[in-house]
Amino acid sequence: MALARLERLTFSYPGAAPALRDVSLEIHEGEVVLLLGASGSGKSTLLRALAGLVPHFHGGRFEGRVEVDGRDTRTARPAALAGTVATLFQDPEEQVVFTRVTREVAFGLENVGTSPLEIVPRALQALTAVGASHLADRPVAELSGGELQRVCLASALALEPQLLLLDEPTSQLDPESAEGLLELATDRGTTVVLSEQRPDRALAVATRVLFLDSGRVVLDAPVDDAREWLDTHRRAWTADPHVATACCKVGKAVCRLRDVSYAYGEGPPVLVGLDLDLRRGEVVALAGPNGSGKSTIAKLAVGLLEPQEGAVERGGRAAMLLQDPSRYVIRDRALDEVALGVGGDLGRARTALASVGLAETENRHPRDLSSGERERLALASVLVTEPDLLVLDEPTRGVDPERKLELAARLRREAATRATLVVTHDRTFAAAVADRVVCLESGPDPEGLTLGVAHA
Amino acid sequence: MRPSAALALLGAAVTAALLAQHTISVAVLALVLLGVCLRAPRARRWPYLVGTGISALALFVVTPFVETIGSHPLWTGPIVPVLGQLDVTREELSSALFQACRLAAVGFAFAAYALLLDHDRLIAGSGFARRSVLAVALATRLVPTLERDAQGLVDSLRGRGVQVEGLRRRATLVSPLLSGSLERGLNLAEAMEARGYGRRERTHVPAPPWTAVDCTAVAGALLLVAIGVTWL
Repeated sequence: MALARLERLTFSYPGAAPALRDVSLEIHEGEVVLLLGASGSGKSTLLRALAGLVPHFHGGRFEGRVEVDGRDTRTARPAALAGTVATLFQDPEEQVVFTRVTREVAFGLENVGTSPLEIVPRALQALTAVGASHLADRPVAELSGGELQRVCLASALALEPQLLLLDEPTSQLDPESAEGLLELATDRGTTVVLSEQRPDRALAVATRVLFLDSGRVVLDAPVDDAREWLDTHRRAWTADPHVATACCKVGKAVCRLRDVSYAYGEGPPVLVGLDLDLRRGEVVALAGPNGSGKSTIAKLAVGLLEPQEGAVERGGRAAMLLQDPSRYVIRDRALDEVALGVGGDLGRARTALASVGLAETENRHPRDLSSGERERLALASVLVTEPDLLVLDEPTRGVDPERKLELAARLRREAATRATLVVTHDRTFAAAVADRVVCLESGPDPEGLTLGVAHA
Repeated sequence: MRPSAALALLGAAVTAALLAQHTISVAVLALVLLGVCLRAPRARRWPYLVGTGISALALFVVTPFVETIGSHPLWTGPIVPVLGQLDVTREELSSALFQACRLAAVGFAFAAYALLLDHDRLIAGSGFARRSVLAVALATRLVPTLERDAQGLVDSLRGRGVQVEGLRRRATLVSPLLSGSLERGLNLAEAMEARGYGRRERTHVPAPPWTAVDCTAVAGALLLVAIGVTWL
């Protein structure tokens, strides 16, 4: 018997085109179903429909039928489905309710009416299962992104759900953490529906693949058949991105970090004695585990942070794309947001918007854009300034492989005009785009970090 | 000490400050509460302390111009439409100082609540009105979240070469900050509902038993209110 069944589901958010169109499928116990598709193709909406959040939480127009464990989601509210279904959202910071780890994991157990004496032991058991028992007494505010996502996974697993829904759970994690999280989520025999933009690791744990395109399921197949289909129809999703790395002449250093040290507040040093040159015509990728100081180096390079020791020399204009696209929502129109960086020059802003495929959205409010569109808006807002030093902090987070390939090609094409530093967890993207990959080989500790040139 | 007992003490201090009739009593309460706040980490405490200090100072400055009490003028100014003749009397200054101390005491008590209390244990220990306690605890986290969001917006502008200096420039960030808070609130509400929040059969982690320290703190809180009513 199917654990979940969708019958001719069509759903539109209020005032928008359908996000899901005539979707019918069954999910059986023990399956690990991987959802693939471009940004805005309906993956998150499908997960929300399985959790009952669509339509109860979001409103909108709902046609068809969704059943989970025999319950119709039109009559069963999401809270009533909790326990049977558990959801892990993309951004762990936006799902945390409490300030301490154990209390956070216990929250769901309390809600579903677990016997009071069982709550804390089950919370600790779940933390142990995800390798986070050492975090039990820590404040959530002190956790790294990877640690916090593990705690959120523990919160979901503590409920012992029949159906686990994971919405791009690894988008903020380094490769090792991402791999570990997917293994933890899928090796318990629980039925899992997982959406991902980095399909390589997810394909390794999935048993079945759905590919969504504009809200329609265009592929529903076992994983081996899906690989063949992807190789034929969506090459970017399985092959390593290959970009013509036309060599350009490497010029003078646009930015020099010399013997730079940095610590946040009274904490331990994040960087000690760092030297790094960024030259015009060269794309440098900065890689390393979560919390190793990559974003700190990026901010020091553009001047958002000042070094406590050492010096940073810059020649020319610097611009930086931050990790979080929700920081690029200051104006009420997408066009005005992009124009902010060029003194309100709407002509240049329009060209920049068009260059990232958002020409049609110039009059929309940035908050009304999908997460993928927001990422591109943020990119346009930075690229429009035509900097001499361009720093991109995790530019492929939440970006589908086809867009990633476009971005890599653009960075290569424009490499000669500036020095480029790309902070990324994405090894394939780094390999595709960079002339030089600089790896941070150790985390923040009193000894500081070591830089290693992994590829030139 | 359990957070609910500490909260009772803070509540009693606020009540005493509001009931007290003498400036010196309220000033002492405010100073004690400030001392409590200084136990919090420096990086976290400054927005609360600066906010409270500025508010109290503003109240002290404005009150003499809008109040009309006393017969010992220290300064007489021009006639201003609506407000009438501006003057400052000794009694008005005294009243302004009293009100500023009260506001400071209330502000520092809130800062101590936000900075030093374990809100998780407070929610777990509250025998009633858990939803309200949870809502207040979540609202309390708004201040550091807004601070972080504001820094993120400033960084996004500086990262595009736009300098954010001056009150007017910073004021343009208020609207995106507020709409960002609403969006964050919606996301959190969605996550909470997905985790079963709102179901009727809710249970709770057992609260630890009351200790002698907790009972003493509650008794001290009652005593402080009584003193506020009678002597302060």
